[in-house]
Amino acid sequence: MKKMARIGVFVCHCGFNIAGVVDVKRVVEEIKKLPDVAFAADYKYMCSEPGQNLIRQAIKEHKLDGVVVAACSPSMHEVTFRKAAASAGVNPYRTEIANIREQVSWPHQNYPEEATLKAIEVIRTIIEKVRYDESLIPLGIPVIKKALVIGGGIAGLTVALDIANAGYPVILVEKGEELGGKVRRLSGLYINFNAPDGFLEEKIKAVMEHPNVTVLTRSEVKEVGGYVGNFIVKVETPSGEKAFDVGAIVVATGFDLYPLQALGEYGGGRYPDVITALEFERMLRDGLKRPSDGKEVKSVAFVQCAGSRDPQRHRPYCSKICCMYIAKQASLFKQKVPDGQALVFYIDIRSQGKKYEEFVQRAIVDYGVLYIRGKVARVYEEGGRVFVRGVDTLSGRPVEAEVDLAVLANAVVASPGTEELAKRLRVATDAFGFFQEAHPKLRPVESLTAGVFIAGAAQFPKDIPETIAQASGAAAKVLGLFAQRELIQEPTVAYVVEELCSGCGLCIEACPYEARALHPWKGIATVNVALCQGCGACAVVCPNKASRVRNFTPLQYLAMVEEIAR
Amino acid sequence: MDIANAGYEVVVVERLPSIGGHMLQLSETFPTLDCSQCILTPRTVEVGRHEKIKLYTYSEVESLEGEVGNFRVRIRRYPSYVNWDICTGCGVCQEKCPKRVISTDFERGIGKRKAIYTLSPQAVPNKPVIDPENCLYFTQGKCRVCERFCPVGAIDYNQKERIFEEEVGAVIVATGYELLPLTELGEYGAGTIPDVIDSLAFERLLSASGPTAGKILRPSDGKEPKVVVFVQCAGSRDPERHMPYCSKICCMYTAKHAMLYKHRVHDGQAIIFYIDIRSAGKGYEEFIHRAVTEDRVLYIRGKVARLYQEDGKVVVRGVDTLSGRQVEIAADLVVLAVAMVPRPETRALAEKLGLRLDEHGFLEEEDRNFAPLESGRPGIFLAGAGTGPKDIPETVSQASGAAGKVLSLFSQWG
Repeated sequence: MKKMARIGVFVCHCGFNIAGVVDVKRVVEEIKKLPDVAFAADYKYMCSEPGQNLIRQAIKEHKLDGVVVAACSPSMHEVTFRKAAASAGVNPYRTEIANIREQVSWPHQNYPEEATLKAIEVIRTIIEKVRYDESLIPLGIPVIKKALVIGGGIAGLTVALDIANAGYPVILVEKGEELGGKVRRLSGLYINFNAPDGFLEEKIKAVMEHPNVTVLTRSEVKEVGGYVGNFIVKVETPSGEKAFDVGAIVVATGFDLYPLQALGEYGGGRYPDVITALEFERMLRDGLKRPSDGKEVKSVAFVQCAGSRDPQRHRPYCSKICCMYIAKQASLFKQKVPDGQALVFYIDIRSQGKKYEEFVQRAIVDYGVLYIRGKVARVYEEGGRVFVRGVDTLSGRPVEAEVDLAVLANAVVASPGTEELAKRLRVATDAFGFFQEAHPKLRPVESLTAGVFIAGAAQFPKDIPETIAQASGAAAKVLGLFAQRELIQEPTVAYVVEELCSGCGLCIEACPYEARALHPWKGIATVNVALCQGCGACAVVCPNKASRVRNFTPLQYLAMVEEIAR
Repeated sequence: MDIANAGYEVVVVERLPSIGGHMLQLSETFPTLDCSQCILTPRTVEVGRHEKIKLYTYSEVESLEGEVGNFRVRIRRYPSYVNWDICTGCGVCQEKCPKRVISTDFERGIGKRKAIYTLSPQAVPNKPVIDPENCLYFTQGKCRVCERFCPVGAIDYNQKERIFEEEVGAVIVATGYELLPLTELGEYGAGTIPDVIDSLAFERLLSASGPTAGKILRPSDGKEPKVVVFVQCAGSRDPERHMPYCSKICCMYTAKHAMLYKHRVHDGQAIIFYIDIRSAGKGYEEFIHRAVTEDRVLYIRGKVARLYQEDGKVVVRGVDTLSGRQVEIAADLVVLAVAMVPRPETRALAEKLGLRLDEHGFLEEEDRNFAPLESGRPGIFLAGAGTGPKDIPETVSQASGAAGKVLSLFSQWG
């Protein structure tokens, strides 16, 4: 015996998007004939104000207790219609969308008859779902308004300051001795050659002296528990382990360079006068003396893409920042040693950024840096000289340069320990160990784990302006979270029918969000509703149908399938 | 959204009749090939219905007075000749309007619209405007078809420009970019060769909801082009004649264009002229690699010197700088990756807001490295391609960054 209901069905034309293919009038006529459909109507744009009014009025006049809107994808207007129905007294979770646009009229444009039949079928199915939908109330989760920032480089400092300035406490955890990260090691910056020191010191001072920031250096995050708004974090500090409750976490762990030793073809690690670009930054600060014999450096070969863009041997990706810092280093070298020689071996010059192209042009024209297009095949040392061999792909001829020093633009890689940290945070990393953003286009500073955000080169190589802008972006996400009195969680989460559960634990393994656990003494599985995303993986693996998702129950699905099969 | 979701009120001023910007014109986006409208329209809809967001579309900022925490903005709203308060967005007016106009802005001259129109099928707000330059009633004094058919009587030919005033604590400038007009590019036919189009026009050809429903048909004769040449750096990296800077996003979208073209026209040939391939971004290098190896897109390193029409073809002349030889290709369609330039209105807006511009007219940041979101004027922040070419992820991160600055400011005031 089916549960009784009074369901209203509202069929949207979406202009011609739906009505141009689906015979909406016929759909309404057919749907009206179904049992428990107390009302059915069509309208040009159901999402418009008059369309929503139509729904509200029908609910009151026909005493509806469930609503089906046959329209576009639920990702477009489910919220709109749920709100409209709720304002007239129907529980929002008893309002469902039958998607007859993306799943009917658009893909079946040339088959109006079949599309109309399919639309009717889709709506009939959703009516069965609504029939058994429970009235639910969204869950409220409290938010601890305190943030953890992991990494004290330029990204972490920016995030910490933005959040602290907004009035919230921040715990800043840095693995190293001091704050400042890689920027601390740089000489001048592109594109104005200014040293970063003043700015960095100012920023570090602001963080250190900020009443809202607790700085923990020589410290590491060891354990992360809990969930968005309510994380429990254990940090190992020089004075022992400390625990903090925080509402949000920002990962700003930066990058590292691909090890010199791994670049055997360039003599990396074998020859003292083959160095990384970061070491050359130090030489630009402290004096241009050759590591092997302390003699003044008169000629330098810069080797770009050392380990980047090399899918066979090293990393397939482009490290993004090397073209610019090499142009800067070569220009700075020529400023300091005007009669010196600077050669740059490159594949493509990637100077994409405001005034970057002009900067590289200046290096070539004003500073006389010689650019050679070609990848370096070998670097070796002989008789105290460094030889760089490659092919000039523009002339097609082999080139060999004899220089005092070779500087490699090593590939940028994820910083050590990223993998373990990602596991502790339950955040995904990509194929190369960088943190994975939630969506490459529209959610670049969020991770897929609610409450954990990403800033700076921990996500992928980034230069300073991009890192700073993105770090402020991550701070904005945290501030947005902290602005909520409580987090509203969809109530369509998993639950356990206790008398059916055997405590086998399959659901615990299946859950990708670690929302499932065994009850300490009852011997049955439990659900942490704050972590559950309602994905249904547990419901699928449960052999006893004890794990279920609210409003996606087996009863509903069987009723829906039966309706299709009829 | 970031500011509104944090509980503060936001006033959005948009020059066009609806929100969404250039991204709504795009077909699919690199490197994931997500459909642009599919990922953007849920967001425009969300903005449209957010209770903390007030939209002033078809409007521009007239003046700004005051200072951080206490700005007074005057907003000029252009007459749409439609009373949006009662318009239901049913679309009958657009269906009945007898005047078809070539849509030079949204459809980039590839498709048509009516004299009363919305920019796109899922416009937010979904309310039309009348273009008085083409409307038969405004130009010839007769017609009034839209008025006759409008079921709610929303047409109002006498609507006047209106000025609104709002008080705000902070301002974010996110005015975006435009493409250098083809008429500026004499060496590439200066816009006189119909089968030489810009990259946004090609996006419209690729778009499933575009004027050709996603079919690649060339403008001159509506035939499917079998040889398509893509010319990168058209007007970019060219200090002598055009813009000295790199437009940043063209390498990637051109690879995408060539790839999508090959997916639609299996026996077609896609040829790209480039100076350097600039694929610096997550998954970008790999994307180019896929275009070359899987989709067999042919990359030729060299700049195109000249384009001209001959026997229904467009002849592309250039030099292959790797072999040092001259190349000549008879193409059916040529797509130019035209330089990105600031919106022409940016200059006037910058003056009203008291902001600095660089020599090309892009908005100037307070400090290129350390204060990329600040404008130099307290309380005014910058986001997106208004400061210089940027791709979508960078724009989105930076926009959230600007929101972060505003939230930091607002929280201090409590």
